[in-house]
Amino acid sequence: MHPVVPNPETLASQACWSCLREIEKAAHFCPHCSKLQPPADSDYFTFFGLQRRLNINLDALEKEFYSLSRKVHPDLYARASAEEQRWSTDQSSLLNDAYRTLRDPIARTEYLLELEGVKLEEQSRAATDAARAQGKEKQQVVPADLLEEVFELNMQLEEARMGKKMGERDEQVEKDLSTAKDRFEAMLASSTSDLHQLWKEWDQVIATGADAEDPLRIAVRDKMVALLNRRSYVRNLVRDVNEALAA
Amino acid sequence: MAYSDKVIDHYNNPRNVGTLDKSSGQVGTGLVGAPECGDVMRLQIKVNPETQVIEDAKFKTFGCGSAIASSSLATEWVKGRTVDDALTIKNTDIVKELALPPVKIHCSVLAEDAIRAAIGDWKKKQGVTAPAAVEAVKG
Ligand code: FES
Repeated sequence: MHPVVPNPETLASQACWSCLREIEKAAHFCPHCSKLQPPADSDYFTFFGLQRRLNINLDALEKEFYSLSRKVHPDLYARASAEEQRWSTDQSSLLNDAYRTLRDPIARTEYLLELEGVKLEEQSRAATDAARAQGKEKQQVVPADLLEEVFELNMQLEEARMGKKMGERDEQVEKDLSTAKDRFEAMLASSTSDLHQLWKEWDQVIATGADAEDPLRIAVRDKMVALLNRRSYVRNLVRDVNEALAA
Repeated sequence: MAYSDKVIDHYNNPRNVGTLDKSSGQVGTGLVGAPECGDVMRLQIKVNPETQVIEDAKFKTFGCGSAIASSSLATEWVKGRTVDDALTIKNTDIVKELALPPVKIHCSVLAEDAIRAAIGDWKKKQGVTAPAAVEAVKG
């Protein structure tokens, strides 16, 4: 197991609004007077008292989620002050967002990458701006032959859909599609196991206490970005092929 | 999220959907993708070798309504322009024309990428080394 490296975020302290005694920054309740605290301005990992690691114990996370949801539930604060009522609503929605994000492997990875400074939604535009400014051709983030393949398969899918609408069933097309389906499902599965490998590398780097500028940390991060970019095409195809075959 | 009227119009009546002969020396093909969502777009141009004017453009997009509208609009815009002039089209022009919301900006980026990739492909076919009469780029 990893040595326990305390998360500096959770260690930072603040004062309880009610009894003014010192508490951990991301504490949901004061350990002294047990009053509900206003939501801390923290990330989802910190919210659950976790380090920024990608392998997480999902059972423990689920338990913590249910236990916290009961404790911060707005019903319990119906008679409390207006402020506490608001905090309980805020804590509840933060809890839901944090749980939904962390429990999903892809959402968790994307979230972590955003925390690490990657603008997933803007990378493509930024690259286009740079290429335009330099009068150069933009490098597509996935290999040309993957794009080619994705495009071709989309053409086939469209044909198959149109054929079905006209009431035609083409045996050959169906066969091609299910071959393609197997291929892309295999690609998706291998991208998942590659991702798990990168999670492991990431967690190891974090366990060494590497800071945000650490070249290893950045290298693993960028490998995950590349993987997710590639994955989005494959994921769409798997979805579309399955739809077409089921129709 | 509501699409603007212009997006809906292009989506319902896409202009210039289709294919040009990829192997022709006059045709440039751009095949690009948006990693954000996994959508793909192909845009092709046919260029008059004498005048460098884009005489025809076709597209095929597998993606959202905004991507289809952006590429449809892009083919309309490049037609009749010189290659160098077409390179001045920016995704922000498309965003403005179609009133795309921020979450749909990447769809317009896809269309700009496709134009530039198609022109790049065509230039490669001309043998880039021969400096074609470079016109001043109009801003
Ligand atoms: S959502 Fe993919 S291009 Fe618009």
